[in-house]
Amino acid sequence: MTALTVPPRPKGRWMPWTAAAVIVAVTVVMCLPGFGVGLDIAAIARNWQQGAVRIVELLAPDWSFFPRTVGPLLETLQMAVIGTAVGAAISLPLSFWAARPTNPVGWTRAVLRGILNVVRAVPELVYAAVLVAIVGVGALPGIIALVLFNVGIVVKLVSETIDSSDVGPLEAGRAAGGTQSKINRSIALPDAWPAFVSQTLYVFELNVRASTVLGLVGAGGIGLLIDAVRTFYRYDQLSLIIVEILVIVVVLDTVSDAIRRRLV
Amino acid sequence: MTNASATRGVEAHASAPWGIRLDGVSVRYPNGTVGLRDVSVDIAPGDLVAVVGLSGSGKSTLIRTINGLVPATSGTVEVGGRRVDGASGRRLRETRGQIGMVFQGFNLAGRTSVLNNVLVGRLAHTPLWRTLLGAYRREDRELAFEALDRVGMLPKVWERASALSGGQQQRVAIARALTQQPRIVLADEPVASLDPPTARGVMNDLRRINEDLGITVLVNLHLLDLAREYGTRMIGMRAGEIVYDGPAASATDADFAEIYGRSVTAADRLDR
Repeated sequence: MTALTVPPRPKGRWMPWTAAAVIVAVTVVMCLPGFGVGLDIAAIARNWQQGAVRIVELLAPDWSFFPRTVGPLLETLQMAVIGTAVGAAISLPLSFWAARPTNPVGWTRAVLRGILNVVRAVPELVYAAVLVAIVGVGALPGIIALVLFNVGIVVKLVSETIDSSDVGPLEAGRAAGGTQSKINRSIALPDAWPAFVSQTLYVFELNVRASTVLGLVGAGGIGLLIDAVRTFYRYDQLSLIIVEILVIVVVLDTVSDAIRRRLV
Repeated sequence: MTNASATRGVEAHASAPWGIRLDGVSVRYPNGTVGLRDVSVDIAPGDLVAVVGLSGSGKSTLIRTINGLVPATSGTVEVGGRRVDGASGRRLRETRGQIGMVFQGFNLAGRTSVLNNVLVGRLAHTPLWRTLLGAYRREDRELAFEALDRVGMLPKVWERASALSGGQQQRVAIARALTQQPRIVLADEPVASLDPPTARGVMNDLRRINEDLGITVLVNLHLLDLAREYGTRMIGMRAGEIVYDGPAASATDADFAEIYGRSVTAADRLDR
């Protein structure tokens, strides 16, 4: 029996441990008062009785409040649907514009991607707050905020899918004498379609969640009602709203999952 | 009536094959690689030319220079009397519309139907709004059905391209080229990804479109028996230059050794 010559093990096994130690150290430092956020865990112990009362209230939803929640809930759903549809319609052509295989003109790609980075950097609640000041209170600023938020996400994700796709079929379109727009429509679109639908469903779910809080800044939907009941400490009514949102989110998740499965 | 016969006249003219003329063509890629070195060649309308050579010999560059997918760095490229070098935009697209191309990797859009893939061959002749709506003309659909029928793929017309086997996909790709009603068909290693019997079937399709429709066919191959069997003329390439040009049938193993720069082995044949 001859001993096997195993090549020496490469160095660098300590790396994950060091990384974990660094992360723990940084987190601890950030919790220290004075230097970091000054986390006071004792506050939980001091206030637990108050918290217990709230939790008990939350556990007993006020079902009689239901009729008043229907209108705002529907508005929330409508905002999410309209925001998703308009956002999708804008995102589709822009996705082709932002991807290298479907837009060979480099500087237009760079400009669009730059704008989208800025659009994505702003949270939708901040958009809504600013838009309420511009176009007034109601569903409209909420919808515009959702559209901006959706375009930022969908264009980024779909254009990245197009970037990583096989360019051979597009070359065949070029060889057949097609313009870039025709090639994008007849060859790139069918291949990018599942990614586009899947991302649109994903932002629709995000929109339903987001449009529940947009009302906090006056941009329509159930958020306005949440703000009102919270101000009056009606945790039993808040609880009902939370249950309703939970049901809607679970139903939408199931439906969009089913659609996605059929797609791929 | 006069209108109809005038249209028919144009169609008859449209099926006339084109010749290809390269004069002192060199191609240097942006990374410095030389694809072609001062290549001059004249291909007659209706020829079936086999271009042979090892990978990197420049045969793929040669074929792509003809439809302008690869721009010539110097020299002139002419198809059917039209200049390809220096052409761009609408003029280049119109010329490309007359030249069908078949690729080694088939290059079909996998997630859409065979019909939609074949209709890509009508892009140069279809207005943008029709393309965007997917509303192709009835005549264009008819052309697509006829082309699919010619390669025996009509039964698969509604299937997804990705659901087909390699040989079937290459046939669909040939149908896509035929739907252009091309005057030239360029085939870049069309059988390199296929098994021997399937490869022969695809080569037979290419030969039939050359013989039955009279279309000029230029096909890149690296297997010498296929080149000998199917080509009427053979062009051998090495290091970006044409090192052999003559009738394909009478090309000897010594000629191939000259083209490949080494002696011929069993691996150079389809049927070992």
